[in-house]
Amino acid sequence: MFRWKATAALAVAAALVLTGCSGGGSGENGSGSSDRLTLTAIIGPTSYDIGAGAEYGNRSPFFQAVFDTLLQKDSTGEIQPWLATAWEYNDDRTVLTLTLRDGVTFTDGTPLDASAVVASLEHFRDGTAPQAATFAGKEFAAPDATTVTITQAAPDPSLVNLLSIAPGLIQAPSSFGNADVSTNPVGSGPYVLDTASSVTGTTYNYTANPDYWNKDAVKYQNLTINVLEDPTATLNAIRAGEANGAKIADNNTISEVEGAGWTIESNELDFQGLLLLDRAGTMAPELGNVKVRQAINMAFDREALLQTLQTGYGTVTEQVFPATSVGYDEKLDSTYPYDPAAAKELLAEAGYPNGFTLNMMSTPAFQQTFDLVAQQLSDIGITVNYTDPGTGNFITDMLAPKYPATWMALEQNPDWQLINFMIAPGATFNPFKYEDPKVDAYISTIQNGSQDEADTATKELNTYIVDQAWFAPFFRVQGTFATDANTNLDFWPTNAYPSIFDFSPKN
Amino acid sequence: MLAFIVRRLLSGVVLIAVISFLAFTLLYAAGGDIARRILGENATAETVAKKTAELGLNRPLLVQYGDWLTSAVTGNLGRSWFNGELVSVSVSGRLSVTLSIVIGATLVSAILSVLLGVLAARRGGAIDAGVQFLSLVGFAVPGFLIALLLVLVFAVNLGWFKATGYTPLTTSLSGWLASVILPIVALSIGAIATVAQQVRGSVIDATSRDYVRTLRARGLSENSVIYRHVLRNAGGPALAVLAVQFVGLLGGAVIVEQIFAIPGMGQLSVRATTQGDIPVVMGLVIAFAIIVVVVNLLIDLAQAALNPKVRLS
Repeated sequence: MFRWKATAALAVAAALVLTGCSGGGSGENGSGSSDRLTLTAIIGPTSYDIGAGAEYGNRSPFFQAVFDTLLQKDSTGEIQPWLATAWEYNDDRTVLTLTLRDGVTFTDGTPLDASAVVASLEHFRDGTAPQAATFAGKEFAAPDATTVTITQAAPDPSLVNLLSIAPGLIQAPSSFGNADVSTNPVGSGPYVLDTASSVTGTTYNYTANPDYWNKDAVKYQNLTINVLEDPTATLNAIRAGEANGAKIADNNTISEVEGAGWTIESNELDFQGLLLLDRAGTMAPELGNVKVRQAINMAFDREALLQTLQTGYGTVTEQVFPATSVGYDEKLDSTYPYDPAAAKELLAEAGYPNGFTLNMMSTPAFQQTFDLVAQQLSDIGITVNYTDPGTGNFITDMLAPKYPATWMALEQNPDWQLINFMIAPGATFNPFKYEDPKVDAYISTIQNGSQDEADTATKELNTYIVDQAWFAPFFRVQGTFATDANTNLDFWPTNAYPSIFDFSPKN
Repeated sequence: MLAFIVRRLLSGVVLIAVISFLAFTLLYAAGGDIARRILGENATAETVAKKTAELGLNRPLLVQYGDWLTSAVTGNLGRSWFNGELVSVSVSGRLSVTLSIVIGATLVSAILSVLLGVLAARRGGAIDAGVQFLSLVGFAVPGFLIALLLVLVFAVNLGWFKATGYTPLTTSLSGWLASVILPIVALSIGAIATVAQQVRGSVIDATSRDYVRTLRARGLSENSVIYRHVLRNAGGPALAVLAVQFVGLLGGAVIVEQIFAIPGMGQLSVRATTQGDIPVVMGLVIAFAIIVVVVNLLIDLAQAALNPKVRLS
């Protein structure tokens, strides 16, 4: 029996030691202190070599921490000077001249001058980062040490914005050939990645760059970003006080996050709905008729879809331009009220009194959405025939194009990027290369006209696209970020993840 | 003995080669357009084509496997397609994390299941029924549910342990304990349930044998009979079950690491497979296969040491 007592005593002693120890352990997290900012993200960076992996959206904080961009967006979304102190177009807006800040160095000690900027921009253009094609055809030159010119064949209204996000990131050319360039970044940014204590894909620890040119902008000496892919893990980290700020991927957990005493910040960047891609009717002749596309728009009870699929976190919409766009018009959101009877009449007028069958893709992760879409379309007589192409092929098959229409969640970019992303004849998400002379004319005015002309044309383009029912958007989804009681945040209206410069300690 | 080990190791190598080929071809069959997956929806078709060519994905499957195999044999497992980290670094870095949890869980479950199994077998009656009931509960409740419950009670509410993340042993002992104890407990419970039953059965079976009666008749103390002699005989089957449990725990670690956000092989497996990060998945497959081969070999050796009647030739 002695052994049993000894064992029990040992177990109690061990438990006491462990409890004491872990008390010290949780103190070491340091969350809540202004010395360290601890954030959670839902996805880690791909390659830190900007030519291979530079990306914003949910990956922005990792890149922002170690690299500077040429220009910078403030918390209201306005473009401000950063590495470039001034920028100016020539008269026909084919040459952008940037004046660089003097005396900036990369963290390996090499100078950040015009030739380094040119090398970095070329490295991005010639690489395989997701937005590499935005620099296609652009030429970069360094007339002197603090001047960079960007020359393009035709005006690019998105260029200045691009220089404030992934394409504008500047990497030290001295690091291009490093064997570990993809995991050991060299930039001029506010922080330096501590590779020894970081775990690629999971935990990223950064320390403040001692030679940073803009020390006032750096509010924390240390930055930690933990990648938590599981929404439950995010919620546990929040409840246990293991972070100061967290990206909330699952809006259904918002009430629990608020219950833990955290503050919710939100924006709306993505819309979900149908892309009616085959507007010429080459694959599904029915979609070539505008009345059919309009009828599809009237088939959806958008409010009910928003409640069911997003617990109401978002805003119903019938347009693809975001609320921050000059082209956005609130009135357009009531163009196609939910009316299955009227939709059926429109289908009959179009010559389909008995409806038709539409081939679309589905994917198990969004099964509830696909079921509801099929059900609402069947109410007006359209039978949906779903094919699951496999997760890895969803976008590929959509863009092949293999289906005349599809459900999708798409990013709402700034206007010119949006146009070239989903409307222009060569846009990625216009896979049938559908063209309309009116749309082309608007696009030309937006590209070449004065600011006023461009703004008017953007409004008209948006109205026309809604009227022609190129899409059947359902709602914009709320993007959510939460901060603890010790942390202030101004959330960017135009990116999925806040700027690391917009966090500050409350005390 | 040496011939036995060499033979087992050689068959292990063949097994790993076969597994690597099967894994490679299956991954491709399920992979879809990997370049598009890496680049996301923003990339144009041209950029996707460029990335495909850069990764060599436009070559025949057998050529790609041949290339992978030749460099793998020289120790070069390539780099992750999704974050550029060397696969050897990814896998070895996470191996220690997972092994510390899985070995911890194996030790805890080995010790507790022997104690509980012997207790149930010797005492019988209410204690036996109690242990049996606990075993049944431990066996029936899924590990992830236990893990979620443990996080809520001991990390979120009481704040004793970490809810997410991992502190390496080299950084801080207390931090390490705070990050591994809950995962170890979550993983152990199911294993204890299974192995305790096995030990109980073996002990009951052994105590009715003639040699035990002889030992008792010679006046040996009951503790000596049980721990020196009976357990030695009952240990063989229990060890075999424990080996199966160890491999099972590697699988259980996949879910537990996800819940605790611990950067181990389980978490890496989930991410790499869902993304289609073939170099990383292949690295993990090889590592898991090696572990299984080695564990089985060690168990055979341990059984031989426990019971000389088990011959290894």
